[in-house]
Amino acid sequence: MKKKLYLILIFIFLIIIMINISAFAHKVNIFAYVEGGKIYTESYFSDGKKCVESKIEVFDNQGNKLLEGLTDKEGMFSFKIPPEDVIDGDLKLVLTASMGHRAEYIIRADELGDIKGLIEEKIEEPVSVISPETSSVELKEIQSIIEDTLDEKLKPIMREMREIKKSQEDRISPTEIIGGVGYIIGIFGIIAYFLSRKR
Amino acid sequence: MHISEGILSAPVLITGAALTATAVGYSLKKMEHKEVPKIAILSSVFFVASLIHVPVGPSSVHLILNGIIGVLLGWSAFPAILVALALQGVLFQFGGITTLGVNTFNMALPAIICFYLFNRGIKGENNFIALILAFVCGFLAVLLSGVMVAAALVFTGEPFMQVAKLVLIAHLPVMILEGVLTVFCIGFLRKVRPEILDI
Repeated sequence: MKKKLYLILIFIFLIIIMINISAFAHKVNIFAYVEGGKIYTESYFSDGKKCVESKIEVFDNQGNKLLEGLTDKEGMFSFKIPPEDVIDGDLKLVLTASMGHRAEYIIRADELGDIKGLIEEKIEEPVSVISPETSSVELKEIQSIIEDTLDEKLKPIMREMREIKKSQEDRISPTEIIGGVGYIIGIFGIIAYFLSRKR
Repeated sequence: MHISEGILSAPVLITGAALTATAVGYSLKKMEHKEVPKIAILSSVFFVASLIHVPVGPSSVHLILNGIIGVLLGWSAFPAILVALALQGVLFQFGGITTLGVNTFNMALPAIICFYLFNRGIKGENNFIALILAFVCGFLAVLLSGVMVAAALVFTGEPFMQVAKLVLIAHLPVMILEGVLTVFCIGFLRKVRPEILDI
């Protein structure tokens, strides 16, 4: 008879799992991307709710705080990339939401590098690579046109990629849930084994 | 309810870990062989319950069910919650490994307090009183957990009033929900399988 009860209980939480098959974790996420010299961040709880007025701090890779700010009603926060001399590597964004929730996001140096590289090239190229006759103004113009078109063309793709990255981060697969339950039963199996040996 | 890594100060983390370790050790010593399957099942219930979300205001909260776990398990609530939280940390990044001690203590201590307060009433003769106590039990367990989370944050240096208000307001719906759920669980168990309550 006791078996029957356990079967019922197992059945009940299998149902719970089914209801929550697209389940969310209880944590906050922060997501950031670089666009046009600015860094945009989105913060949200993993059930999709936005983090309103949560603090975001930005650190360089030495752990120095560069700036901080609050998210708006949409959970967004954006800021200009801090001047190059401050950045010598990755940027770390730390989100602190209510009730002890915290998340980090790292923007890699090469993502930021786009802008950095551009500035350097602008200075060097006219001197060395191209013949002196070409005026630097023209070069700059060409470069900015290429940049603009590329940005325009890549926008949808980038957005798509962000969405994919996001959804991958948030998803809890049923496999993990069932696996977790399996682990629990296994761990208590081990405990039961030791308890039975004691006797 | 799960405090993330990197929020709490070291003394709070160490205290939490030490208290949890002591309590788990004590309860493992006390644990009875035939109880183990029950503990495993309730541990899995706790593991899955955290995936059920209740959106509230700027935050989002989830079921905890530590009241009913406390009444059904007594001291064994500690290992049950520890195992479930460890797996949530590893699989879903709820909370974290360094905060495991604090988080376990925050949720398991109220469970045990509820066990001592309501054990006799819920398992007593009078059905009506048992159900009312079941509601209070579910309600109080979450309330106490919230207070403990707030305390952990305050000891780390967050302003008290702000944290306390947030935690209380955010958890009020969950408290009510858990109270109702606990009533249903206890009512069901009393009718269908009283021996699990040792009546």
